[in-house]
Amino acid sequence: MRALGIDPVHDTRRTFDGLLSAMSRPGTVHQVPAPADHAVVATLVDHEVTIATADEGLRDALSGQGRLEPAAVEDADIVHVRDHTAVDVRACKRGPLVEPSEGAIIVYRVDSISGSSGLGTTVTLSGPGVDGTAALSVSVPESALSALSEAQSEYPRGVDAVFATEERIAAVPRSVTMEVA
Amino acid sequence: MAKETTSQHRDESTGGGTPVPTDSVDAALSAVETDGLSGYNYAYLDEHTKREVRRSMLKAVAIPGHQVPYASRPMPLARGWGTGGIQASLSLLGPADTLKVIDQGADESVNAANIRRLAENTAEVATTTDTTKADLIQSRHRIPEEVLTDDQRLVLQVPITDALRKVDPSDAANRRRHAHKNYGKMWVHLYENVVEYGEINIASRYPTMVANRYLMDPSPIPRWDVPKLDDANHLTILAAGREARIYAVPPHTSVEPLAFEDRSFTVERFPEQACHACGSTDTYLVEVSEEPGTTAGDDDTAASFETRYACNDSSFCAKRRENPNLPKDHHLDRSGVDWGPATPDGGENA
Repeated sequence: MRALGIDPVHDTRRTFDGLLSAMSRPGTVHQVPAPADHAVVATLVDHEVTIATADEGLRDALSGQGRLEPAAVEDADIVHVRDHTAVDVRACKRGPLVEPSEGAIIVYRVDSISGSSGLGTTVTLSGPGVDGTAALSVSVPESALSALSEAQSEYPRGVDAVFATEERIAAVPRSVTMEVA
Repeated sequence: MAKETTSQHRDESTGGGTPVPTDSVDAALSAVETDGLSGYNYAYLDEHTKREVRRSMLKAVAIPGHQVPYASRPMPLARGWGTGGIQASLSLLGPADTLKVIDQGADESVNAANIRRLAENTAEVATTTDTTKADLIQSRHRIPEEVLTDDQRLVLQVPITDALRKVDPSDAANRRRHAHKNYGKMWVHLYENVVEYGEINIASRYPTMVANRYLMDPSPIPRWDVPKLDDANHLTILAAGREARIYAVPPHTSVEPLAFEDRSFTVERFPEQACHACGSTDTYLVEVSEEPGTTAGDDDTAASFETRYACNDSSFCAKRRENPNLPKDHHLDRSGVDWGPATPDGGENA
């Protein structure tokens, strides 16, 4: 979306490349065009899906292209959060058992992420996409990650999380097991 | 995607068609003049379509083995010829990527050459036939013999998405079975197979459990290739255009072919056979019927044909012809890489 300074073809392609790598290798951190949370939304959101976000600039940019289909956090396909305390991830859509892919993707804007022990809360990931175990540190309190873990506890139902800093992303898909280290 | 040309002269001997050189498919295709693809978006698909495919791909990775629906678009070739694979590939490719396309192990088939050309012309990607040089490999019916790495992605074209369709034609019923991980009917099918044939008699599309949750149809790859998906280094995306479903096997994910304790999963064996061209005994071989001599006469009876075995992966076969001892993991630093069936003669590469 040009309105956000994101090239609609090549920046979204680069963002998707990072998203796919992050999602298929949980715990790994990938560089994407800045601002990363906007790039992720620009890559995934159009009028076919609903979005919940409190970000006025993002809403205006989407709306200006006819791509904004707003919804409450409980009903949205994509949930964009700049302040992790504003949304309880446990309320997000987890999808029915027959079609669990209807569960939400939640995009958190955070200050820092790291593929090893770093600032904030460090978790140990294991499961599909992880060779053994992987560490991921996110600058949110432990309670936020515990809530995410709970929202992912009914596999295959659940939500998939993307953490975005200014220009880096990491993902925690519902298929992995997350333990606070 | 060939377009009608107006400027070409018409040759009576070809019935009005355009004569093209026939020494290779790529040469023939490049000899056909077209109006080009100006006016199309980068990578042919419009951005709306890419978003749709990309969302489904991410979900497919997040729920390994689950068939995620997506809005499969009409493509410039018939559904069933790799349209799902192309949509996945074109949603992924960027100008810095190198693409390889294989069809039944061969880079030179018309289908593979056409798909490669579409990507080349619209996504400005480099193409290769060398497995080790590709960033993205789109394939039909095979996983290459050379070990795929962390940096590579494999897109498999899928004709039939649901392993359970073999035992029940109802998709609605099968989706309920997947929801509850109820695979009893498939186990009965395998048991009946053992009763009837003494072994599990499934040649391709072998029912396979992904991450101990979803039963998956691994597409019509031979049994030989199924173990390569288990704890792989690469990401595999399986895309079906006709059935409008995408599913995936992330790296380092358990992929287990269904089998019984006393009737284990086996891969194809080719006892006493080697590739007639490169001599390999540790690759997937196919039977080739050929006349023994170049001008063997006009006798077209079966007796005048000779059955030989040849490597199915033509690009690796070419490398083996130059270096018969080339291991399948020659491009990796480490040794002892577990990739597909072990070499029968106990060679170093397993």
